[in-house]
Amino acid sequence: MKILVCITHVPDTTSKITFTNDNTELDKGGLQFVIGPYDDYALARAVEIKEQLGGTVTALNVGQQETEPTIRKALAIGADDAIRIDAEPTDAYFVAQQIAEVAKAENYDLIMMGRESSDYNGGQVHGMVGEMLGIPSLSPVMKLDIDKGVAKMAREIEGGKEYLEASLPLVLGCQEPIAEWKIPNMRGIMGARKKPLKVITPTNNDTLTTPESYELPAPRTDVKLIDADNTAELVSLLKNEAKVI
Amino acid sequence: MAKKYISIENLKFLLNEVFNIEEVLESPYYAETDNEAVNMILDAAVDISDRHLFPFYTEIDRADHTFEDGKVTIHPEIIKYIKAMGEAGFIGGSFSFEHGGQQLPQMVTAASGAIMSAANNGVVMFTGLTAGSAHLIASFGSKELKEKYTGKMLSGEWQGTMALTEPQAGSSLSDIVSSATPTDQGHYKLKGQKIFISSGDYEGTENVVHLMLARIDGAPLGTKGISLFVVPKLREDENGNLIDNDVTTAGVYHKMGQKSTPAVHYIAGDNDNCHGWLVGEPNKGLSYMFQMMNEARLGVGLMGAAIASAAYYASLEYANERPQGRKISEQSAKDKPQTFIINHADVKRMLLFQKSVVEGGLSLIFECSRYADLEMTTEDETAKKRYKGLLDLLTPVAKTFPAEYGIKSVSEGMQCLGGFGYTTDFPLEQHYRDIRITSIYEGTTGIQSLDLLARKIMGTGGKSLMLLAEEVKKVTDEASTYDDLKKYVTALQEKLQDLQKVTQQLGGMAMQGKMELALADATLYMEFFSLIVIGWQWLKQATVAKKAMVTGNPEGEKLKFYESKIHTMRYFFSYELPKTLGLMTRLMDKDDTLTVEVEKELIV
Ligand SMILES: Cc1cc2nc3c(=O)[nH]c(=O)nc-3n(C[C@H](O)[C@H](O)[C@H](O)COP(=O)(O)OP(=O)(O)OC[C@H]3O[C@@H](n4cnc5c(N)ncnc54)[C@H](O)[C@@H]3O)c2cc1C
Ligand SMILES: Cc1cc2nc3c(=O)[nH]c(=O)nc-3n(C[C@H](O)[C@H](O)[C@H](O)COP(=O)(O)OP(=O)(O)OC[C@H]3O[C@@H](n4cnc5c(N)ncnc54)[C@H](O)[C@@H]3O)c2cc1C
Repeated sequence: MKILVCITHVPDTTSKITFTNDNTELDKGGLQFVIGPYDDYALARAVEIKEQLGGTVTALNVGQQETEPTIRKALAIGADDAIRIDAEPTDAYFVAQQIAEVAKAENYDLIMMGRESSDYNGGQVHGMVGEMLGIPSLSPVMKLDIDKGVAKMAREIEGGKEYLEASLPLVLGCQEPIAEWKIPNMRGIMGARKKPLKVITPTNNDTLTTPESYELPAPRTDVKLIDADNTAELVSLLKNEAKVI
Repeated sequence: MAKKYISIENLKFLLNEVFNIEEVLESPYYAETDNEAVNMILDAAVDISDRHLFPFYTEIDRADHTFEDGKVTIHPEIIKYIKAMGEAGFIGGSFSFEHGGQQLPQMVTAASGAIMSAANNGVVMFTGLTAGSAHLIASFGSKELKEKYTGKMLSGEWQGTMALTEPQAGSSLSDIVSSATPTDQGHYKLKGQKIFISSGDYEGTENVVHLMLARIDGAPLGTKGISLFVVPKLREDENGNLIDNDVTTAGVYHKMGQKSTPAVHYIAGDNDNCHGWLVGEPNKGLSYMFQMMNEARLGVGLMGAAIASAAYYASLEYANERPQGRKISEQSAKDKPQTFIINHADVKRMLLFQKSVVEGGLSLIFECSRYADLEMTTEDETAKKRYKGLLDLLTPVAKTFPAEYGIKSVSEGMQCLGGFGYTTDFPLEQHYRDIRITSIYEGTTGIQSLDLLARKIMGTGGKSLMLLAEEVKKVTDEASTYDDLKKYVTALQEKLQDLQKVTQQLGGMAMQGKMELALADATLYMEFFSLIVIGWQWLKQATVAKKAMVTGNPEGEKLKFYESKIHTMRYFFSYELPKTLGLMTRLMDKDDTLTVEVEKELIV
């Protein structure tokens, strides 16, 4: 099995997000970055499949040098080698192009991604990459087993579950409970810096979008406590103040 | 439940900015570790804590452990945690490669240990004890012992213990009576009972390996006749099967806190069939234990600071959310909404006290860990001796301050919650119960204080104090380059002179043969000494923060972090350091009739 896992480098979900430059740029100062949570599931399952069936896992990120500690973490968790495409990942189309370009040359059996990034939540890259490579893409995949070159998967759908089979190669957007996040072990951590991390230049710089500005959600306001017996006041507040009924 | 239990930012500040881990990592011994690895290890410690420790803090306490039909049952999540720790290679990470570890600096294991202890202190004991006992075997045991035991222990399959205490021998280990009779088959036959043995038995571990102190038949009296043995609960027979080794659990103690962890009373050799294997040479057991003591004591200090950290963040969160009363200046405006309690000066004081204890205590533990790392890796013999001298001097302080002041700190944390702090709806009452043990085990405060004053200060003829004075001077020199820190430099220098004065007076008494009197208030001396040492640590942190503000132009959250460091230093110098005056008054008082000579009939 030859597996590619695409990982994002995203702010920890507990980070406080602020913007600079007239609200057109994320302020990265003081932010703690991690592997995107869904990508972490994809990586964990990829490592399990490799342990089960043999093969290799390559971690890939489109990003600048600052993302290397995150890539190293993927190596510590169990990827055998890594590729960083040295570019600012400005939009989903651009990222997908870069990934597809690498994948074309390498014939991966599986390209595993998160169902969506946790910063921009586009949920588009896997679909685009599938299209660019002319192979099927599926998302969100919550269970994955490989049996004689066939992937057996489960997806949660409205009101139930869907069980699917497809032949390799495939592009998958993954989410829990496909695997449990792996905590890197000491040996993996110490060995990570000896594993190869290849830096390559992007193929082109086509970006179809540019951000105009960002806005944070309105801060949460104080709560009002209303006596359980006083439904009239509650209704009045919901109607007149919160304007939700 | 509160969300935050420790500040990772603070741990990184200590590692990188205050104690310059880069310098330690430059040693060839640590060639395999770099800063990125250190960050990943801290991340992994957070992952383990968030998955296996923090979510179960209350649940495991409420479940307690049970003893029925001779079997000790603990909460199942603890077993999962131990397995995860073994798989992650976290048990014994600081061991050498040769001994199956990852050769991590102690500074790094202190940082990861702080995270995990803050998340769930009692549960961390299980793996801490296994690491400590495996370290004894790895350092002093024969090749066979190492091969048979350390691998299984570091993987978490076998639990290790430190089995010192006996009913008549707690603080006074020289009174140990457990016995060991040699046989001609290489092992000894052990007989005796041990009490309070933490994680000394439970269902779910394959085996328990006691590192047990006992006397070989005919050994000299006192500490010079104590040997160290490996005494497993199950031993291997000729075919390699594990069979019963005649170690019987007689009971467990019902404790105030750390309910996750059984403190076991066991009896060895009731049927004359308990085999034990000597570690190292006969009669050296206590000295082997003492060589590990610095590590274990720092571990307990770390636990105190870590529990106080969890309590601090829980009370800080509450203080930011609880509206109650109005500010004194706004008391007439009854129509105004109530203010959050964090706006009351007295609540701010309680929060600052906690922060000053937690971060001051952690800083001292990192300082000691750094000395330990440098002592081990430096080639220069003079420097080695110097680091060892400093480490020996400060270890009893790094055990005692975070324990004793940690207890006060958690108490103030509870106070911030008012009546709710006393209820089981919030974790503060558990923090309070848990932290109380830290001033008792691994040497009580009384024993640590005697160690500081008699052995570490008087025993070195005051040389260790000179080493400390040199370390303090490095900080005051640097701090005096900033105008707004000068005031604190002067204050600390004055305190150091007071310390010398008090020490000379007590030393003088000792030289006149009045040893009992000189040591009578060792515990007060400990507090006096600790306040000055923590003052030094605070000035050190504040100086680093000041420098970063001047040279790095930090903004936003980062700037706040540094400002808060300087502010907390100012708090400590104004509220806590002056307490040395009261202590000094008593320590300089030569009246010996109050404790040493008073008849016990007057204490009724
Ligand atoms: C400085 C900066 C500016 C940015 N500006 C924009 C912007 O203006 N608009 C915008 O939409 N996004 C922006 N991004 C986000 C970044 O481009 C996203 O990674 C990319 O847009 C894909 O986002 P998505 O949410 O559509 O990904 P999704 O389609 O939600 O991601 C699905 C999966 O694709 C893979 N994947 C996604 N991105 C990468 C990557 N970079 N490397 C490897 N695998 C990846 C992961 O497995 C991920 O789980 C910016 C990022 C940075 C660092
Ligand atoms: C929860 C728990 C877990 C423990 N875990 C372990 C373990 O894993 N392994 C182990 O071996 N032990 C363990 N212990 C035992 C612990 O180390 C002892 O309780 C401790 O050393 C004190 O001994 P003691 O209880 O006999 O008290 P004592 O020695 O009787 O002390 C009672 C009081 O007298 C004071 N005192 C005693 N001697 C002197 C003196 N010479 N001068 C001045 N004051 C003195 C002490 O400071 C103390 O205040 C544990 C204890 C507890 C409660």
